Amino acid sequence: MKSTPYNLFMSALFGGRKGPRPPCGNPTSIACLELMKACGALFPEAHLNPRAMADLALAGHEIAGFDTVMPEFSVHQESAALGCEIEWGSPERMPDAKNAPHADFSTVAVPENILEKPSFRVVLDAISLLRKQVGGQVAIIGKVMGPWTLSYHMAGTQNFLLQVGLGETEKVTRMLRQLMPVTIAFANAQLQAGADAVVLADHATGNLVGPYHYRDILLPIHQEITSAIGGPVILHVCGNCLDRLELFADSGVDAYHFEWQVDAKTAVERIGTRVSLIGNVNNPRTLLQGTPEDVYHQARYAIEAGVNIIAPECAIPLTTPLANLKAIAAACRDGY
Amino acid sequence: MQEAIVKIKDAVVEGRHKEIDAFVREATADGIPPSAIMNDGLIAAMDEVGKRFEAGEIFVPEMLVSALTMKRGLYVMKPLLTVGGDASSATILMATVKGDLHDIGKNIVVMMLEGANFRVIDLGVDVNVARVVESVAELKPDILGLSALLTTTMPEMKNVIETLKTKGLRDSVRVMIGGAPVDDTFAERIGADGYGKDAVAAVRLARRLLKH
Repeated sequence: MKSTPYNLFMSALFGGRKGPRPPCGNPTSIACLELMKACGALFPEAHLNPRAMADLALAGHEIAGFDTVMPEFSVHQESAALGCEIEWGSPERMPDAKNAPHADFSTVAVPENILEKPSFRVVLDAISLLRKQVGGQVAIIGKVMGPWTLSYHMAGTQNFLLQVGLGETEKVTRMLRQLMPVTIAFANAQLQAGADAVVLADHATGNLVGPYHYRDILLPIHQEITSAIGGPVILHVCGNCLDRLELFADSGVDAYHFEWQVDAKTAVERIGTRVSLIGNVNNPRTLLQGTPEDVYHQARYAIEAGVNIIAPECAIPLTTPLANLKAIAAACRDGY
Repeated sequence: MQEAIVKIKDAVVEGRHKEIDAFVREATADGIPPSAIMNDGLIAAMDEVGKRFEAGEIFVPEMLVSALTMKRGLYVMKPLLTVGGDASSATILMATVKGDLHDIGKNIVVMMLEGANFRVIDLGVDVNVARVVESVAELKPDILGLSALLTTTMPEMKNVIETLKTKGLRDSVRVMIGGAPVDDTFAERIGADGYGKDAVAAVRLARRLLKH
């Protein structure tokens, strides 16, 4: 096979032929201060302007050496379009929502023209720009928040989880089902704009909610979402998810992006034949505080364990040293 | 253990928040001392909730409902405790540091500390160094608990400790820290007295810090 970044990534995403080396990818943000400065596209502009967004995404490939470009650096594109007041942050600070407009679980009126809302448009335009520049050579990854994460934004995390705990399943499911079409519409629009795959980030996080919550409430919804999205889907759920790996494989996704808390060998053994695995270099200890050698060793461990695509476990801290990010690509360059 | 206490404990552990009022009233009517209702009922229940959380048997949604149930029980108990002079053991001041708007982790720690009968004053989220330090001077807590969920806000914890030192307040208060990006190495590096990896560990740490 041709060993271009695109081919290596797409083949690994479907568990196909191996080229000379594993691909390194970023289903979640690898934007860090050094990378922003190196390419001249800084937060908050890189959240708001499609050219800056595309430039920062491209820097992940051109400067950090990743085989993918992923132009969405926040978790708030959808919540902004749905009425949350977003503080878009600064080069040192990630965006954050100032309010939860549906804390009372009132009906969420999804705007008919939601794809035209500025926070959606910017991502779609950035993906189109990337398609023109590197389409077919570098894999372009889109990203959407799932309805569980969107419910945190609409109702407030603690409030939403309290309703889950109180057994208010009807109320909780109603909220999720109202938000599900937003996830599907944004994912399909990103694929049509030129994304090769989309990440479905939905924070039914290990240690936060139980596997039974996922199985009973969210899994059926994820199955509907994955069948309605017209392209490859990568699931991202943080935390120690050892207790629900098989459930994720049941969701209909093509790959699961996982954290270091799940041992790479265990993940491969348990679900490696059913979905591709992407991960799982530790962020706070290794990427942020470790040396390039530490990162390299952890990435090599994941490669040797059989992880299909090597990546940071989650959106990286903004002060992550660029040299550490490059060490992931270096580990991949050294082959299988 | 008396049946009325077992009922209270089970109600909190299982999050039966609608029944707790009646159970607490029943226990007091039976002449059970408030201290026993507190220690063997409500506090023991939250210890059990903590254990189940640590073991991965329950998760945050169930913990939130148990905390709600415990709070309702405490509310019924409050007038009785004042009369009986059964005051809480120590004061803990809690805050999520400047720049950080995350409050769920801190809130769970607050609930567990309250469940363990500490008096907790919660300054909320995005609290700047000056306000934390002023509050320490004014409220004289036994422990200051600082939370950060973002790697970008971790340095604020160090700033709080440094400012406490400058103002001569550092020796008056124990400082404990927590939150996803921090660990015991970081705690040691910035001169905190301890790190709790979760709410259960925070309660354990607070109890330990007060023994010294």
